Amino acid sequence: MDKVIKIEDKEYPKLLKEIGNDAPKKLYYKGKWNSDIFENCLAVVGSRHLTSYGKKITEQFVTEIAALGITIVSGFMYGGDEAAHSATVRIGGRTIAVMPCGIDIIHPEYQEGLYNEILEKNGLIISELEGKFLPVNWTYARRNRIVAGLSKAILIVEAGLNSGSLITAKYAKKYGRKIFAVPGQITSEVSKGTIQLIKEGAQVATEPGDILKYYNLSPVKTSLTKQNLALSKEEQKIIEQLKREPMEADIIARTLNVSVVKIGATLSLMQLKGFINQESGKYYVN
Amino acid sequence: MLIKVPSVVNLGLETIKVDVEVNLANRGLPGFEIVGLPDKAIDESKERVRAAISSSGVDFPSKKITVNLAPADIQKEGSIYDLPIAVGILSSVLQFSIPDKSLFLGELSFDGSLRHTKGALLMALFAKEFGFLNIFVPKDSANEAGAVKGIKVFPVENLIQLAGYFLKRKNIEPVVYHKILNEISTPVEFDMREVLGQEQAKRAMEIAAAGSHNIIMMGSPGSGKTMLARALPGILPPLNETESLEVTKIYSVAGNIQPGGSLITARQFRAPHHTASLVGLIGGGTRPSPGEVSLAHRGVLFLDEFNEFPHNVMEAMRQPLEDGYLTISRSKKRVMYPANFMLVASANPCPCGYLNHPKKDCVCTLRQIKKYQKRISGPILDRIDLHIAILPVDTTEFSNNQKNSELLESSKIIKQRVILAKIRQEKRFEKDSIQSNAQMKNTHIKKYCKLTKDIENLLHTASIKFQLSARSYMKTIKVARTIADLEGAEEIAVSHMAEALQYKPKIYDTV
Repeated sequence: MDKVIKIEDKEYPKLLKEIGNDAPKKLYYKGKWNSDIFENCLAVVGSRHLTSYGKKITEQFVTEIAALGITIVSGFMYGGDEAAHSATVRIGGRTIAVMPCGIDIIHPEYQEGLYNEILEKNGLIISELEGKFLPVNWTYARRNRIVAGLSKAILIVEAGLNSGSLITAKYAKKYGRKIFAVPGQITSEVSKGTIQLIKEGAQVATEPGDILKYYNLSPVKTSLTKQNLALSKEEQKIIEQLKREPMEADIIARTLNVSVVKIGATLSLMQLKGFINQESGKYYVN
Repeated sequence: MLIKVPSVVNLGLETIKVDVEVNLANRGLPGFEIVGLPDKAIDESKERVRAAISSSGVDFPSKKITVNLAPADIQKEGSIYDLPIAVGILSSVLQFSIPDKSLFLGELSFDGSLRHTKGALLMALFAKEFGFLNIFVPKDSANEAGAVKGIKVFPVENLIQLAGYFLKRKNIEPVVYHKILNEISTPVEFDMREVLGQEQAKRAMEIAAAGSHNIIMMGSPGSGKTMLARALPGILPPLNETESLEVTKIYSVAGNIQPGGSLITARQFRAPHHTASLVGLIGGGTRPSPGEVSLAHRGVLFLDEFNEFPHNVMEAMRQPLEDGYLTISRSKKRVMYPANFMLVASANPCPCGYLNHPKKDCVCTLRQIKKYQKRISGPILDRIDLHIAILPVDTTEFSNNQKNSELLESSKIIKQRVILAKIRQEKRFEKDSIQSNAQMKNTHIKKYCKLTKDIENLLHTASIKFQLSARSYMKTIKVARTIADLEGAEEIAVSHMAEALQYKPKIYDTV
């Protein structure tokens, strides 16, 4: 028997009902329906081709926000959505995944591990489509209205022009939700969408506190900030460079005017000590 | 009248003596027959021999001529028996005797002259090993055979000259054995200093060249992967004498030595296209011949667009990558070719090529990217020592000093370091049967790569943090050994190991 909530039911999310004709008549779901999960929702969406910057920011923001009990809503796609969901479950937060397909399908299927984890951590998987309805072009866009409708505000970390994330933003605007956008480099393809949003009046989010303020919460000071105690002069210089932007070894060597042989060894050691990390050829500060 | 003319047959790199028995019978109808499992080329040699003898001004005997290639049960092929057959017939007609302990090989032209023939070096080596004193080969192949010390190599221009020599009317000056001392420099497409930026990739190339490590470069189109690979021959150390002989043997069998050519002294750089067939790359065919992997023996096999190679071709390279040779088995023959090469592979990170590109947008879906990257299987990646990600270089970011290629290190300087590292390795492995750090097995690693407690701890932490496989763990030690050799250090230091970790297998993260 399918688990389903109808629009006339008492448990139907209030915020979603407010979007009027756009509100889905039925919501199929997996997991335990608990109305308080819908109380404080934040939609976090991002590009499928998230950069290492976008991934880092998503994780950092979501970790702090979800830790304070805010439910993270997203679309279960790979990239930005996946980063938001997994950062939430990692710290034990609740998250809602709105599927673009029938409730009995896991899409994309290789994220089955994440799917199960969301349910384990008392999260919800929901969809307006029943059974084995396959995801098609229009279901992705329609799904986004539910993501926006469920949430008080939405956070867009990285988005290209004409991306699904901008569709979500469009709905959010229509429903009068607060839109937060994280700025990126103006040359980056996946920052063009967010920058456009900022131009149109979205609020700039540069730290989790910006969003928490909107929810009347204040950020908790975490004691995670690392102390740069055992760093040599050279290592400090490298960290200084990397704090500005992620770089590959060649460029670090060039800017610091040190041979790449020496830089290579230093970078490996710093990575082992956990100060920096490497992804797709570039180093960045943890 | 029966005449025996000794020659050889090459089965792979193995050489067996063949007696070319020529019988001219007075009885029976005139004719010309060859027996002893000849192939089409040998069968046609009848016509070449007949024409060559006639054009040399000798009447072709109208007798019943039968040629037997003994042993009769081994398949023989090629045109190398033209000369022995003709010598056999001529010795009967002109009444000269064939000198003892001599071998003959060569293809005849209709005008009686001899053409460059493959396999001369192998025959010379065979002659030396089995106590033959003289070998008679075409003039163009004489330099090749002349690389072997201790035998007399006679360069034969045509049949008239040879007959004159046997009749003691003319003299043929044997080729003088000369040790090739100075390396003939082969032209290289690019100098390393022409490659702007990519310092780490260049360094990885240097390490690869010094220790014969396999290397893979991943990066977007236009980032300089191919240019780096093409610049590699300029920093490779020259072949030493034994290596040179090994390589020349393969090229001799494959018929890839230029007429007049001798020993190959430069490391070979082979770059087959990704449409190469399995047999073309690995070797084989109905008459097994060496493939690209063997032609790259002791040199470089550069596979551009590595993940475009067919799956079966890629997987077939596992054995040569691991063992340094490969065995080709066919229903009738089994041959072994050495294939100890250094693999240089380059690949795009995704089908469109622009994943992680700073300026261009990647249009591939995650599924496409995963599928594309999976084309290079784990076992193959695991056999590659150095992994580098190559990002496009923005030349506008360079200062004038950095842009000036005159100030950058040239291939010549890098090559000097590489040669020194190579010499250290040769000395180290004197008593072992290996030549380079990349070939070290676990026992060698234990013996030659002493690690201090500090380094062991470092490596241990790294293997947990980076999830290194057991093979990668060992590979990192080997690479560190080469880095130490480049620096001239006896023992591996922390800095060497730390640098080696830079080239560990990378996860090309897509999200």
